Amino acid sequence: MTENAIEIRNVSKRYAGHVAVRDLSLLVPRGAVYGLLGPNGAGKTTTIRMLLDIIEPDTGTISVLGGSTRDRRVLDRVGYLPEERGLYRKMQVRRILKFLAELKGVRGSDADRRIVEWMERLALRTPEKDWGLSKVDELSRGMQQKVQFIGALLHDPDLVILDEPFSGLDPVNAQAMKDTVVDLKKRNKTVIFSTHLMDNAERLCDSVCIIARGEKVLDGKVSDVKASHGERSVALALDGDMTPAVRAVLADRSLVTRIDDSNRYYELELTPGADSHALLRRLVEAGAPIRRFERVQPSLHQIFLDRVGAGARAPGEDTWTPGVEAGMVGHG
Amino acid sequence: MARLWAVIKREYLERVRTKWFIFATVFAPLLMTALLILPIWLIGKSGGTSDLSRIWILDASGVGLGARVRSELSGGLMAADTSHAQVVVVSPAKLAQAESTSTHAVMRKETNGYLVLGPRILDDTIARYAGRNASALIDVQRVGEAVRREVLAMRLEQVGVDAEKVISLTRAKRLDLQTEQIGDRGREGSGMVKYFFSFAIAFLLYTSILVYGQTVLRSVLEEKQTRVAEVVISSISTDTLLAGKVLGVGAVGLTQQILWVIMTLVLTKAREPVMRAMHLPSTPIEIPSISPFVLALLMLFFFLGFILYSALFAAVGAMVNTDQEAQQAQQPFMLLLVATVILIQPVLLNPTTKLAIGASIFPFSAPILMPVRLSLMSVPWWQLAASLASMLVMIVVAIWLASRIYRVGLLMYGKRPTLREVARWVRRA
Repeated sequence: MTENAIEIRNVSKRYAGHVAVRDLSLLVPRGAVYGLLGPNGAGKTTTIRMLLDIIEPDTGTISVLGGSTRDRRVLDRVGYLPEERGLYRKMQVRRILKFLAELKGVRGSDADRRIVEWMERLALRTPEKDWGLSKVDELSRGMQQKVQFIGALLHDPDLVILDEPFSGLDPVNAQAMKDTVVDLKKRNKTVIFSTHLMDNAERLCDSVCIIARGEKVLDGKVSDVKASHGERSVALALDGDMTPAVRAVLADRSLVTRIDDSNRYYELELTPGADSHALLRRLVEAGAPIRRFERVQPSLHQIFLDRVGAGARAPGEDTWTPGVEAGMVGHG
Repeated sequence: MARLWAVIKREYLERVRTKWFIFATVFAPLLMTALLILPIWLIGKSGGTSDLSRIWILDASGVGLGARVRSELSGGLMAADTSHAQVVVVSPAKLAQAESTSTHAVMRKETNGYLVLGPRILDDTIARYAGRNASALIDVQRVGEAVRREVLAMRLEQVGVDAEKVISLTRAKRLDLQTEQIGDRGREGSGMVKYFFSFAIAFLLYTSILVYGQTVLRSVLEEKQTRVAEVVISSISTDTLLAGKVLGVGAVGLTQQILWVIMTLVLTKAREPVMRAMHLPSTPIEIPSISPFVLALLMLFFFLGFILYSALFAAVGAMVNTDQEAQQAQQPFMLLLVATVILIQPVLLNPTTKLAIGASIFPFSAPILMPVRLSLMSVPWWQLAASLASMLVMIVVAIWLASRIYRVGLLMYGKRPTLREVARWVRRA
């Protein structure tokens, strides 16, 4: 038994014309909630597919749960929610779930019991309505996603791989998903998920890896990653609208090199050498209705933009850097 | 194995449960039976057999044949009330006039029709019937039968056989005549029936292989389009998925065919009682007897042919992204099937030509043409063996190719691959 649930060493994968993953090495500790972050086309899905032996790496080695991905018994202990979701449209929900469980070697009676448990837990089976008897076609998109999520967990896997688990979920379902992830962690399961949503990653993950253009940008524990990016960030919240005078203070490059404007909330990066007290004083002088002014560690979001967006956002600028897509800015 | 079984089970149960399968399986034979019975039943209906009592018999025989025919008509299986059947005895000279009078009577609906028994009927056996129900098969059959029987009886009486003997003789004679007829028709018909039977087998095999081969294609395409494929192959190998799919769908096809065979047998057995219950004459249909061995061979050929084609269709399904693309990409294999269909006719007409032998051994036409030959003749064992061997070899090749294309193609979205790209998949997989 190794310490790590996943060990990826020097893995590369080329497709005709481009490199999807370049010399990637990753260690995911057992029992961790691990976030794989990166813009679209960064190689997240390719990496995940290699973990599941859906595609083979050109070079490098991958070990999952201490074994080879070639070993079907290893894969039986892995649960997978793909990014591209899909179920047999005309099939009854319960039958699909049973089929998915059987593919993982779960016995019929066990499968039936677990299906009921999970369906009740995720509100797909209530006293009024049992969606398990409906065809997939009749379910809403969110419900289908929950069904597929259940399908990934029915065999009680030790390692759960979720590709973009939060995309397309409403707040209630997203919360249910988060609760489940936390619960898996409590039961000492390893969860690895990819996401665009930095807030989710920051709240949920023990460790993260940011990859872009097929290469690892950084990885490590979330606390370490944030600490290593210093405390040059200031969280600022105002009561009411920003006045031109306040805006002028924030546009002063001798104080602030970067501003992430979320309308009511601002994350500022201090210019090296600048004093936060000086900034606070200037803001008060400008008459800013300050509700919160706090020196904070940079958010993952900010770090992500720093490292992947190549420092591309100047203060007051409202457009995102190419290659970093809008999905990442969600503060949900 | 448990995983393979799970895939087979899903493919099988999800298809057998559909309304379409139940409809096709149960109603196709019923529809066929209805087509066999309905026309005769409708003819019987429109004919109105009871109206036989309302015909005129113009008797110019001069020997009282008319009266005998009338009583004969009343004694049949479906004893019609003959109290109204009129016998009009006319002299040969006035026959023409009587006929035209009767024609007008029919037109005025005074009578339904009239039977003409000519003066020389005992020698040349020509009787005529004209009437509104002249196209009613049953009526005409019964009238004809009655006339024939009575003419025969009178001839016998003329040569001095006594009346009682005549009755027993004509009964016997009648039986004799009938068996002879059936024998005759049977021999002639049997050839035709066998021909149609073989054609039906070929057609059934062709449609089954086509329908179920394409079912495999659609099944692969569905998993690709709905992206279920990715979940499934994160649990089992693509080979297991492919095998389970082909076997599961193939089992559906076999189930349907076995049910059809059983239902056909039952319906053939039940046909005569049904027809009799509906007061219809049952012209016997002879189904060529097929030994269980040949039947098993037919099933085997279907299954092998299905596996061969469905492996190829599965590869097509993995190559494409949309139904339209699938339509195009499956053309080469459709062409093989269509070419086989074109060969059915020549093979049926002469199953012993070199073309027939060659085509029944060639792996892509063997699954349809060998069964055709099997149903027509006893095929030499070496040809049978060669046919099976060539199919098995081609199946191995097709599955090898298909599983490689399948493995790579299943997760390839976007543009349809070129042939060169597909070749690269096969090498790389």
